[in-house]
Amino acid sequence: MMVRALALAALAFTVSTAARAADPRYPNWPCAQAKVPEISLAAVWAGPELGDAESKWKDDSKISALVARLAARKTPLDEAEKSVKEFLAGSADKTANAKLLFAGLFDTLNAQRSQVMSGLERVSRKQREAADKIRAETIQLQALQDATPRDDAKVDAMSNQLIWETRIFEDRRKVVRFVCEVPTAIDQRLFALGRVIQQEME
Amino acid sequence: MLRAGLLSGLVLAAAPAHGFIAYVSNEKSNTVSVIDTDGWTVTKTIKVGQRPRGIEFTRDGKFVMVAVGDDDSIQLIDARTQAVVDTLPSGPDPELFTQDAAGKTLYVANENDNTVTVIDLEKRARLGDIQVGVEPEGMTVSPDGKTLINTSETTNMAHFIDTASRQIVANVLVDARPRFACYKHDASELWVSSEIGGTVSIVDPGKHEVIGKVTFEIPGLRKEAIQPVGIGMTKDDKTAFVALGPANRVAVVDTATHKVTKYLLVGQRVWHMAFTPDEKYLLTTNGVSNDVSVIDVAAQKVIKTIQVGELPWGITMAPGIAP
Repeated sequence: MMVRALALAALAFTVSTAARAADPRYPNWPCAQAKVPEISLAAVWAGPELGDAESKWKDDSKISALVARLAARKTPLDEAEKSVKEFLAGSADKTANAKLLFAGLFDTLNAQRSQVMSGLERVSRKQREAADKIRAETIQLQALQDATPRDDAKVDAMSNQLIWETRIFEDRRKVVRFVCEVPTAIDQRLFALGRVIQQEME
Repeated sequence: MLRAGLLSGLVLAAAPAHGFIAYVSNEKSNTVSVIDTDGWTVTKTIKVGQRPRGIEFTRDGKFVMVAVGDDDSIQLIDARTQAVVDTLPSGPDPELFTQDAAGKTLYVANENDNTVTVIDLEKRARLGDIQVGVEPEGMTVSPDGKTLINTSETTNMAHFIDTASRQIVANVLVDARPRFACYKHDASELWVSSEIGGTVSIVDPGKHEVIGKVTFEIPGLRKEAIQPVGIGMTKDDKTAFVALGPANRVAVVDTATHKVTKYLLVGQRVWHMAFTPDEKYLLTTNGVSNDVSVIDVAAQKVIKTIQVGELPWGITMAPGIAP
């Protein structure tokens, strides 16, 4: 009974993800939030053209070290904003450094975001497979339960297996919901840091 | 020089506070943030009902009304005590509302049952419903109070409703998903923003015809990212500001030419806006960056960002200075 309820929940999940994937371009996108594959530069930057800063930021060891620290989610945002201000206040060519720093953050955070998103889609595909498996095994279990003579050892084994599979499925589902917030959190960080950089340039 | 500096410092310190007060609804955190423009700080966060969106001061400045959609009502916040004191009746899932110039009648758009509820603000009682037949979205009342405009995303129209007879008298087709409507103060034009169409239609309210369109173009941004929502018009009707949603910008529009003169980068998913009563500043709500941007209207520059609650949606400004 318990197993059947769980399996039903799994079924309901697959149906609801399909319904929720409103955008036919991304059938494996599991989040309620719309999928925006890439952050466009213009959405976060109204400053001067980045020009060769887009490739050169990597050559500057000071900049790339700072970018790595600012892009890390474990660095609190207000602390990151403070670091941006301090770095630019102390630099000789503010505009050039500001462009390098932003170019680095844009690259790094966009890449981080793509990774998270492809991870989500990978898990979403796995979940679909898991749901198919659970569904098939539920039918098998029903057949085993209805069989005469009934093989209780087999019924137990199959029930246990289903309980485990459903539990893993449910846990993953919770994680997915949590991870769905991450792309937005990265957007927020990039925008906030970009805004501070632009303010410091003025 | 030093003395002058000291003196001006003294004058500054001695000057009485001339702060205005803004209230911001935070859709996701179920709160309202109170901002004092004197120091541009949040001075209080008020717990309200579920899913607060539409928010407006009563004309006398004594109360703030906030539509709490998931609680199916409109709450009244006492501006003096900054606490919820009463509830107004509305239909199911009120999203936003508008009041007439006198501040006597309130019109509430109920998303779920295709009606507009009419409320007597003095008696705090429901006068009746207008069947608009389509999901009401944006609403505004003409400066003379005779016409209620209701935009609908199902019909892509601005519906003109006679407030006396409560009947639809005209329909004007605009671009996809009309979100917000705003009259010029001299009532010569009605501006309607279309979130999906990506335009603002300018309607002649007498002839019920679209006479012009404001279009937006931001190099490097895809068209779908430009979603016009909130509109703010200066009192002289010469300049309009249009919030462009996920384009993260506010467009400055010359109302004579209907052309954009400048784009200001504000915050993420900029939604609604409100001027300070002296019109020196314009405040915008930015839903994704969870903040409010302050625009210096004359300089057309963003001067400040204020963190508020989660998913800030609407904003209203007290008509006078802080008590």
